[in-house]
Amino acid sequence: MLVDDSATVLLSISGILAKAGFQVVTANSAEDGQKKLAAGTKPDLLITDLNMPGMNGIEFIKVVRQRSDLRFMPILFLTTESQQSKRVEAKAAGASGWIVKPATAETLLSTIKLVLR
Amino acid sequence: MDELKQVFLQESNEQLDALETLLLELENRPDDETTLNGIFRAAHTIKGAAGMVECAAVESFAHVVENVLDRLRNHEIAVTTELAALMLGCTDHLRVLVANEAGVAQVTIEWIEAQGARLLAELGQYGPGGQVFATPKAAEAGVERIPSNRSGHNCWHISVRFGPDVLRQGMDPENFLRFLETLGHIQHMETLTDIMPPVAEMDPELCYLGFEISLESSVDKQAIEDIFAFVRDECRLAILPPNSKVADYLELIESLPEDTLRLGEILVRVGALTADELAEGLRTQAIPAAAEQPDVLQIGEILVAQQVVQPELVAAAVAKQTQVSEKKAQDAKLIRVPADKLDHLINLVGELVIAGAATSLLAHTRRDGELIESSSLLSRLVEEIRDASLQLRTVQIGETFNRFHRLVRDACKDLGKDVQLVINGGETELDKSIVEKIGDPLMHLVRNSLDHGIELPAVREAAGKNPRGTLTLNACHDAGNIVIEVIDDGAGLNRDRILAKAIERGLVDAEAHLSDREIFDLIFAPGLSTAEQVTNLSGRGVGMDVVRRNLQALRGTINVDSHSGQGTRLTLRLPLTLAIIDGFLVVSGNRSYVIPLDAVVECIERPESEHNRNYFNLRGQVLPAVCLRESFSLPGERPARESVVVVQYAGQRAGIVVDRLAGELQAVIKPLGAIFRHLQGIGGSTILGSGEVALILDISALIKISGQAEQRLIARPELRNA
Repeated sequence: MLVDDSATVLLSISGILAKAGFQVVTANSAEDGQKKLAAGTKPDLLITDLNMPGMNGIEFIKVVRQRSDLRFMPILFLTTESQQSKRVEAKAAGASGWIVKPATAETLLSTIKLVLR
Repeated sequence: MDELKQVFLQESNEQLDALETLLLELENRPDDETTLNGIFRAAHTIKGAAGMVECAAVESFAHVVENVLDRLRNHEIAVTTELAALMLGCTDHLRVLVANEAGVAQVTIEWIEAQGARLLAELGQYGPGGQVFATPKAAEAGVERIPSNRSGHNCWHISVRFGPDVLRQGMDPENFLRFLETLGHIQHMETLTDIMPPVAEMDPELCYLGFEISLESSVDKQAIEDIFAFVRDECRLAILPPNSKVADYLELIESLPEDTLRLGEILVRVGALTADELAEGLRTQAIPAAAEQPDVLQIGEILVAQQVVQPELVAAAVAKQTQVSEKKAQDAKLIRVPADKLDHLINLVGELVIAGAATSLLAHTRRDGELIESSSLLSRLVEEIRDASLQLRTVQIGETFNRFHRLVRDACKDLGKDVQLVINGGETELDKSIVEKIGDPLMHLVRNSLDHGIELPAVREAAGKNPRGTLTLNACHDAGNIVIEVIDDGAGLNRDRILAKAIERGLVDAEAHLSDREIFDLIFAPGLSTAEQVTNLSGRGVGMDVVRRNLQALRGTINVDSHSGQGTRLTLRLPLTLAIIDGFLVVSGNRSYVIPLDAVVECIERPESEHNRNYFNLRGQVLPAVCLRESFSLPGERPARESVVVVQYAGQRAGIVVDRLAGELQAVIKPLGAIFRHLQGIGGSTILGSGEVALILDISALIKISGQAEQRLIARPELRNA
């Protein structure tokens, strides 16, 4: 599952993932993502942006982590080099790792390979 | 242009709009965290999106802007007028860059580059130590390969102790090992379970494992470290390059928590050291080397500190964002639909209305009760579908209004005036196609008010007025129309100067006696500007007539009301939609006409005795009467009993005299061709169920025509008998 408020990011990352054979569910906000999870989507991996209007990515990660069935799901967050401090916060919230935006298809896929069981 | 690019362009423009609005808000409330965060996020999103579509120009510029905004957000620098102005300039520049990306920029590359360089230089002042440019990530100093002073071992040695929470963060330690395999070959690996508590106390969700790994690989240290980047802060990681000195290994052993001797044995086992090297090393280096220790502690301390701070941070963030999240929740329910799809739908609904009317007509002529019943049910549904689909195209006018904040602000700066913009009724909805077309006329009116209407602060003060002028934009619904008012509390229109100018230009006869309203209307005549100086904004005299023409093209009107010294009120009236209206069908001289139902107040009969008068009596009130038969020179005999439809428009009432009333209908408006544009009193045409064409009356024009005719008669009574 891919969560980001930017349509450009959603389209480009989901494009890369789909081409690599992943099945991608996208959500344009944390609330939207929550709704889709509640509706029964069981992703193997969650990629979320941190900086979103409404519920932010860190809150979202915390909420997801509270679900018993998603406690051990790998969660990656999208970040930029300027957001170092956020990494610690997001990790504390339960994130597995991060992807630095803008990511090439290669780094994106290798990062996913690192965390995906 | 591929889809991704298109999404990017649309998104960046939206974000830029938001950025601009928020920046303007920031000027009024410089400390508002929500606004600051919103601004940062907008810039951040633009940057991120630009990176995704590999639009380097936008990305790098947005990056610098974002850096400054980040400092602003962290209160490292203060919000100043100059900074806000600079940020607005940057917003504009980003717009140009995005437009350039879309290939629609109207400036040259050189200009863009010069502009960019200038802004970057200005932004530079706000960076830390005058430097905001992100220095490219300093290449990690390559680990020096120490010349081998011993033989044999050519492997990296990796020593890792995972943090207890690694599993809870969704990571599997096994993954790291598997990934290491992709870099090279793991020669030897030992798993350490020393800190594993007895089974009874063990938490299966925690990780107690550590590894000592010997990796044969040609990659550099950075590549190995990168693998562990996600757990770097929680785990203990030591990477020793191939051929490290024995002393380094010993240092490592000392710094790790496990028993020194046991570790030594493990290192020997993984092949990092030989038994002799270990024994000798331990002997010579009796004092424990703790070089690594302080660093490790520090990281731990920072982590602890951050964990202490966090709950409060989160609570504050939640409180601040409650409002925002409500809005976002609304946004999330929106879907994007291309406008032409909606237009197509509206067209189809229009056809459906016509076809429905035909069916219903057929049912009535056949006098088939059941058919009539079912077709009336159908028409009701069609009516609902029509309303619902028209609703799809409506948008709030607030967005258009909000654009003027920037305009007012910039104009004030240019003109040295102080004006506050007040917006009322921003939530008023109207058809998107109309909104798009009134933006420019409105902008012109606002500029005019700023430029000519509102005086300089000193002048205002001298006149006993608040030095700060007020420009008000109002919007509301009124009888099927939307009314937009542009009101300023400036000097008002100068009646004499307008008249003098109009006479000078030959627009009116010097002898003519004109009412105030007629004189004010002259400002809409082409080529009339009373501004003494042509400014950047207005005064070129090409504006107001264009404004009126644009509005008329939308079936709208504009009225001026002005009081010297008190200000000017411009009232725009526009139809809510351009596509379908509820109409009232009337017949005169065997021809059908449609009166917009919203304008109809009531219908009465007119006795023959009043036939030759152009006024009538409505319960004691005298109202002008417009006889369609006369106005349009229709053939045929007048019927004995005529009907009068009382209509209301912009507060004025009048009667329209017709032969016969034919009831309500839905009229799908078909615009009249260019040939008929000069026709007064006709607003469009529609097709009836029978296939017959009916003309839609333009009530405002009809009332005006009848008024003018009456005034001519008053001015020259000798015509009355002619």
